[in-house]
Amino acid sequence: MNVPPAVLVLLAVAACGAALALAAFVWAVRNGQLDNSNAGALVIFDDEEPVGTPTDQLFEQRKP
Amino acid sequence: MNPEQVSQRQQLDEASSVPVLLYFATAVFWLLVGTLLGVAASLKFDLPNWLGSIPELTFGRIRPAHLNVVVYGWASLAGAGCLAWLTSRLCLAPLQLRGCLVASVVLWNLGLIYGTGSLLLGYSLGVEWLEFPLPAAALIGAAFLLFAASITATFRKRTVEHLYVSLWYVMASIVWFPLLYVTANLPIYSGVTHAAVNWWYGHNALGVWFTPTGLALAYYFIPKVIGRPVYSYYLSLLGFWAFALFYNWNGIHHLVGGPLPTWLQTISIIASVMMGIPVMAVAVNHHLTTVGHFSLLRTSPTLRFTVFGAMSYTAVSVQGSIEALRSMQERVHFTHYTIGHAHLGVYAFLTMILFGAMYYITPRVARWNWPHPRLIKAHFWLSATGILLYVAATCLGGWLQGGAMNDPKTPFVDVVALTRPYLTTRTVSGILLGGGHLIFAYLFVRVLTRSGPRRVEGGEE
Repeated sequence: MNVPPAVLVLLAVAACGAALALAAFVWAVRNGQLDNSNAGALVIFDDEEPVGTPTDQLFEQRKP
Repeated sequence: MNPEQVSQRQQLDEASSVPVLLYFATAVFWLLVGTLLGVAASLKFDLPNWLGSIPELTFGRIRPAHLNVVVYGWASLAGAGCLAWLTSRLCLAPLQLRGCLVASVVLWNLGLIYGTGSLLLGYSLGVEWLEFPLPAAALIGAAFLLFAASITATFRKRTVEHLYVSLWYVMASIVWFPLLYVTANLPIYSGVTHAAVNWWYGHNALGVWFTPTGLALAYYFIPKVIGRPVYSYYLSLLGFWAFALFYNWNGIHHLVGGPLPTWLQTISIIASVMMGIPVMAVAVNHHLTTVGHFSLLRTSPTLRFTVFGAMSYTAVSVQGSIEALRSMQERVHFTHYTIGHAHLGVYAFLTMILFGAMYYITPRVARWNWPHPRLIKAHFWLSATGILLYVAATCLGGWLQGGAMNDPKTPFVDVVALTRPYLTTRTVSGILLGGGHLIFAYLFVRVLTRSGPRRVEGGEE
């Protein structure tokens, strides 16, 4: 079968992209990134901006 | 404000200030240029002879210039600025290699000037999404690599154990997009392979760069503004990996019915339908996070724009899955319907989320507040009504146009006449969008020149 060299470049790139994704997934599982996942949702909050406190209330000052 | 009590979050925001504001400022400039080119291109459907005698301003040149300016200028620069800021916040580490980011902004803009100038002067490669000549593409590619280097360095300095879902989207895009951009710009393709590479690239520019950007920001801002964690975090991670698995197969659905192997087209259609899984994961999650807090849409500009964008993501994805089917392609391929779909994605989804993110980030890095909240509301309503009108007009007009073109008894000129009212509506909606952009640019300049209200940290706005 006669495969153009450009197609070989594309196959190599695709394999490379897929391999990186697979490596990242294996790392995530081994590292415990996918365990107890609901706790992960809290990392964007801290003591100063805790859960339950909305931010960016720019239009509120307009209210009486 | 007590300077000794500057929180870690404030320190991180301030450390990102210079590069983020440079990305934003140049993005706003290209947004205005891109809008002007878009409205001019649209107006030429109503007034075909307008500016027709100036070669640089003919339709064949300003339409690709519009696409490249809004995609590589506005959306990419604004997206890069937002992601740089977000990475620093999610890694709890100051932005690293900030000099690289400044160099990235400079190279990116040089590439845009060179590329846009080339297109207007007639030096286009003629491949959609890849029109820029090689030197311009090389400058933009180098700029993206510098951006990726800074993000990677910041990621390596992270002081957090857990990688938040947004960070997965960011890291995926900075690994995959340079690989994609460099590969697609190699001057080695010809014939059918070139067409396949063209749309593999065109769709993946959305898949591995713009969509991850929009979703990373939505997954951060919706819970952050509401003050409530993502409804199902597990589902958000599942959504990411399903997205990573399916999206990159989609590109060939642009060539359904074309001279490519049928199996290649079929795989692409199947993958396009499978995108329903990650899309529903995102839609259900964002809806259930927001439900019960819709009143906050009244008080937060960021939430307003971001929720509008997230809802549009669901709409554009469902539309895209259906549009990939052969029976739909028979009717809507090569019609204005496709243009409507493209704008639902890049504007209603991505651009609205970018506006929302910039309304949040800019005052925090510039330490100056937005003046005139009423003008922000005007911007929202101009953009929201403008884009809804745009999508409705082009999709409906395109649908009718496709039906008429498939009828061999209808003369072509009748099909053209049929689309006219829809195209005039499109120009009107483009002008509405342009009005919103002028307001946004004015407000942004007011923050940069510090002529609005000073930001008081701690006391939330």
